[in-house]
Amino acid sequence: MDTFKLEILTPNGEIYNGEALSVVLPGKEGEFGVLAGHASLTTLLEAGVVDIEKEDKSVESIVINWGVVQVDEEKVIILVEGAAAIRGENESEIAQALDEAKKLINEVADSSSAIATVSAKIESAAQRLI
Amino acid sequence: MANLKDIQRQIKSVSNTQKTTRAMKLVSTAKLRRAEELAKRSRLYAGKMNQVIAEIAGRIDCSKVGGLDNRCFKQIENPKMVDIVFVTADKGLCGGFNIQTIKAVNKLLKEYKEKNVKVRLRGIGKKGIEYFKYNEVEMFDTVLNLSSKPDKERSDEFISTSIEDFLNEKIDGLHIVYNGYKNMITQELHVNKILPVDTKGFDCKEIQSKSTIELEAEDEEKMLDALLKKYVSFNMYYSLIDSVAAEHSARMQAMDTATNNAKEMVKSLNVQFNKARQAAITTELIEIISGVESMK
Repeated sequence: MDTFKLEILTPNGEIYNGEALSVVLPGKEGEFGVLAGHASLTTLLEAGVVDIEKEDKSVESIVINWGVVQVDEEKVIILVEGAAAIRGENESEIAQALDEAKKLINEVADSSSAIATVSAKIESAAQRLI
Repeated sequence: MANLKDIQRQIKSVSNTQKTTRAMKLVSTAKLRRAEELAKRSRLYAGKMNQVIAEIAGRIDCSKVGGLDNRCFKQIENPKMVDIVFVTADKGLCGGFNIQTIKAVNKLLKEYKEKNVKVRLRGIGKKGIEYFKYNEVEMFDTVLNLSSKPDKERSDEFISTSIEDFLNEKIDGLHIVYNGYKNMITQELHVNKILPVDTKGFDCKEIQSKSTIELEAEDEEKMLDALLKKYVSFNMYYSLIDSVAAEHSARMQAMDTATNNAKEMVKSLNVQFNKARQAAITTELIEIISGVESMK
């Protein structure tokens, strides 16, 4: 399977930069997935979870609060306002990342159902790691 | 020849000044490191954000897709009123840092005056505000304590007035003038035209050879508006961070020069002091010898 270049940038620096097999994004109109060779597209993202399938097939989740994505055939650039990656070496680190991610979501999402959906996704992402 | 005591006093005062300037240099160096780190991290984002906006602007300009009729992308032929936001430091003692920005603002003001365009001047930073107040240039509003401590919320609040007014067609343009950080020893003056987004310099053919733009939203206008708001407010914030880094580097340099000058001064005063001392001894010796001679 082909890979594409994926960059996720926040005002405080890069949070992800590398090759990816696929990425699932929380678009304004609903979730959508992007593979290599996707047609050009620019759209806004909502608060939610970005799932990145890396070259080694492992999945990394990054929580964002607002964003804009620019997709073209070779690369995907995501500009986000705030982001928290759910990653860590051990359980306590993951728990910490989880807290950060939840805080991020609670700050922006306006409806409790949105918070609940995203929180559930975050939890399951964390479960995968543990 | 100056009095020995006077010279001594002068030496003491100059070396005290030297101590102060050296301390200020050290403080600026420490602050610079932090500010630079912040600016560096944001630079990437700022660059990409501008790139995304520029690409959208270029494509809209070249292909006129989907009847997109956003005010932010149209070049306004006869502007009536423009906003100029300038960022200066709250404190002085940083060489030509503030005056460079002020000069650039003055140049811009003159240009618009010649074209009979009204200008709303919006100031950030005490030094620039003081200057324009003194010269009786009217300012629309001013903010203190923001340029020394950039704060996203306050910067958003400040710039939102300009965005709203632009969208409501009260103003026809927005410039941000600030002195940015280039490296430890150089600052770079930026006069950025934020709104309307500059669509010049795009090669339409190159853009059209790529696949066309697709805006995946029911309400394209709304999406562009939201994106542009973020773009403008982030640019404002980035100007502030960049300006702080530049301010500290300018101050560090100015204080370094001041310390060196003080050193030179102490050196030459010391020479003067020694000469005066020698002269005093010589006079004294002559006096003693002539006294002894006369007693013979």
